[in-house]
Amino acid sequence: MAKIPSLLVVFQRKNKHLPKPIPIIHVARLSKHYQVPVREAGLRQAARALIQRQHRTVKAVDEISFFIHPGEVVGFLGPNGAGKTTTLKMLSGLLHPTSGQVRVLGYEPHRRQRAFLEQITLVMGNRNQLAWDLPALDSFELQRAIYGIPEHEYRQRRDEFIALLDLQDLVHKPVRNLSLGERMKMEIVGALLHRPQVLFLDEPTIGLDVTMQRRIRTFISEYNRRYGASVMLTSHYMADVEALCKRVIVIHHGRILYDGDLSGLVERFSAYKTINLTLKNGPVSLEQYGEVVSQEGSNASLRVPKSETSRITSRLLTEQAVADLTVVDPPIEDVIETVFNQQAEAA
Amino acid sequence: MRLLSLAYTYLRVGILNELQYRVNFFIQILQSLIALVVGLIGLWLVFDHTTDLNGWTQPELLAVMGVFILMGGLIRAAIQPNMMRLLDDVQQGTLDFALTKPVDAQVIVSVREFRLWQVVDVILGLGVVVAAVLRLESRFTLPDLLGFLIALALGGVMIYCFWLMLTSTAFWIIRVYELVNLFEGLYAAGRWPVSIYPNWLRFGLTFLIPVAFAVTVPAEALTGRLTPLTLLGAGLLAAGLFLLARLVWRLGVRNYSGASA
Amino acid sequence: MKRYLDFYLTNMKTAVLVEFQYRWANYFYMIGMIAEPVIYLVVWSTVAEAQGGQVGGYTAGSFAAYYIVWTLVRNMNIVFTPYGWEERIQRGRLSMELLRPIHPLHNDVAFFAGWKLVVIVLWLPLAAFLAWIFKPTLQPSLLEVGVFFIAIWGAYLIRTMALSLLGMITFWTTRVSAIFEMYFAAELVLSGRLVPMSLMPEWVQRLAGFLPFQWTFGYPIESLIGALTPGELIGGLGMQALWIGIGILLVNVVWRFGIRRFSAVGN
Repeated sequence: MAKIPSLLVVFQRKNKHLPKPIPIIHVARLSKHYQVPVREAGLRQAARALIQRQHRTVKAVDEISFFIHPGEVVGFLGPNGAGKTTTLKMLSGLLHPTSGQVRVLGYEPHRRQRAFLEQITLVMGNRNQLAWDLPALDSFELQRAIYGIPEHEYRQRRDEFIALLDLQDLVHKPVRNLSLGERMKMEIVGALLHRPQVLFLDEPTIGLDVTMQRRIRTFISEYNRRYGASVMLTSHYMADVEALCKRVIVIHHGRILYDGDLSGLVERFSAYKTINLTLKNGPVSLEQYGEVVSQEGSNASLRVPKSETSRITSRLLTEQAVADLTVVDPPIEDVIETVFNQQAEAA
Repeated sequence: MRLLSLAYTYLRVGILNELQYRVNFFIQILQSLIALVVGLIGLWLVFDHTTDLNGWTQPELLAVMGVFILMGGLIRAAIQPNMMRLLDDVQQGTLDFALTKPVDAQVIVSVREFRLWQVVDVILGLGVVVAAVLRLESRFTLPDLLGFLIALALGGVMIYCFWLMLTSTAFWIIRVYELVNLFEGLYAAGRWPVSIYPNWLRFGLTFLIPVAFAVTVPAEALTGRLTPLTLLGAGLLAAGLFLLARLVWRLGVRNYSGASA
Repeated sequence: MKRYLDFYLTNMKTAVLVEFQYRWANYFYMIGMIAEPVIYLVVWSTVAEAQGGQVGGYTAGSFAAYYIVWTLVRNMNIVFTPYGWEERIQRGRLSMELLRPIHPLHNDVAFFAGWKLVVIVLWLPLAAFLAWIFKPTLQPSLLEVGVFFIAIWGAYLIRTMALSLLGMITFWTTRVSAIFEMYFAAELVLSGRLVPMSLMPEWVQRLAGFLPFQWTFGYPIESLIGALTPGELIGGLGMQALWIGIGILLVNVVWRFGIRRFSAVGN
């Protein structure tokens, strides 16, 4: 096994809940660099570029390392262009790494051996695999043939998934007549029929309404529970991540910023707390206490540094006529945003 | 006048748009040349085995081919792209944008698109026509030229009417791709003078799909075959088709509004 | 092996279901397509009549046979287009296909093979109509019919390989339409699509002998209309097999390099 970077050892010790220390996904100092042509404005520059192209290296993924254990559900977070999709593509075997090591289920993904492909799946929220003009049932049949699933196992799983997602009435309709959410459910059924051990889910709930998102979340978590499969999930919806993932990996500019418990993320990166208060005697200026996020009538919301929280709270209680006061952690979205913004300034 | 300036504005936008993609110009030249070479090979093969085809000599058939290429370029530059967009609009329910403008909607849907690079075919076709006329034995006179231009314009109008009727009625049954394929397949018959086809086909190519008027009649003008009677007939038919197309278009729009309400 | 058979049959069934839904669209496509051979047929029948009934060994009746059989062979020749490759690489559809534990080319071959079954059924009434109009002279022997039915699938496979190779150019560069069109032009002239090869000058026929084109058009047509000796019939199947072999070899080599590039750049 490759040498484990010291940073990872720390995270591993922190994650005491890990079942067994045999990783199912093993990534060490993995990088992906792209050569992109430098485009300059203007006709003359464009003509010159035809003969002699200027290239620039973009480090989409830059020496990342992590382990994922059997049965873990890991949220993979980062802004657009952070390297999430590139990483998922390297893990699933679509992209060849520039350097570093990847092992998934003991295989080198980019060799795309059949035994490997039969145990993984990649679902992308914006791509569909099912035949557009046919009922999903026919496409499932095709999946059966592609993955060589024995007939009885196929039927049993298919019916199980269909029941779990409540799709009984829809499997006979042409896919083109389904709503976006119904179609996504079908996509997921199709992608799991061969019962993969590793699931890569890239924005599986994108564009869906809240109920549908919840439905898909429940299903993924049920699948994970029943079959002990590992899941790597990217999503813009923090609700997905909060509901499914104990552990998150935050990536930005191709580097890992954080790898650990979701709760630890807030603890670690949020330097601020929010004080919500209601005043007895109408609006007063609160600027002296901290950053005023909002103030409407007698309700106000203040953002204060974490270390100052208790001091400011007691000052408020003594100096103002306070009817009600609560201190809360900022929402996870805000924390993540802060993380990315801080990083952007540092870069 | 207002309609003309509207058409001009759309044309200008279309040209500016296409100018951004200059590579397409060179690709178009290459493709047009390939098509020309293939056409010439076909012509040459025929005359390798015979001296005349149903009364048409080689330079005369070259003239037919020139008109065929020229008219094909016009159709693909100005008529076909508009009709394809119309079909798209009807199928996706986005025709409302055109229908809510304070100008005759038929004009709008007919001038919105222009494929500048297809003009390569127009120029190439013109070149072939000139080459053919120079090789003709008979003298080419001014009335011939005039007849040619009028016949060409009438042919263009008829093709436009045909496309408009096709688009206004057939949208519920076929996809764009098949429609274009169907038209191009039938138009390809114009590569040869329609007189060589069996009667039933000649009738179809004259009155159902006006390929005869779009290609053969202008070519007759070039080769001194055009009678004033044919030209008069073409004029009357063009006018009739125009009225019919307008009627069909109106019905189509009424149908469309009814369906989307 | 059993697994591939299962995959092919299931995929072909899927294709039949999809394309049968689009039977009207398919029909319009066929009607548009039939204009081309009808034009050739009319021109060459006219030439034959002007030449006292026959040209290059063909009479009006045998031209009719040639170009009516042509319509079926042309339909068999429709495969996944090189333009489709451009789209599937750029839009990322290929990525999803690569994650299946089966080579994407199997998918193409199987799907279009299924489509052919629909096409053949739709073609029959059209062929009957054309035969009624143009009165072909066609009296195939049992051997000719047998060879023909193998040869049209051979043609299908050769053209699949050729157009896949062409399509795979888009792994390296886009804007390849001019190259595609050049290929189609060469194919038109050198395959027997435009005219029977026997009407071509000697040197063109010799040139075509070194190229795969005629095995996808001229040969299957001639095998049915009685233009070939038994030796030529069987030998032709051998040539088809040879070209399929060369095609598979080249496709595999180019595919390997193409995928290497694809997984370096990604899409």
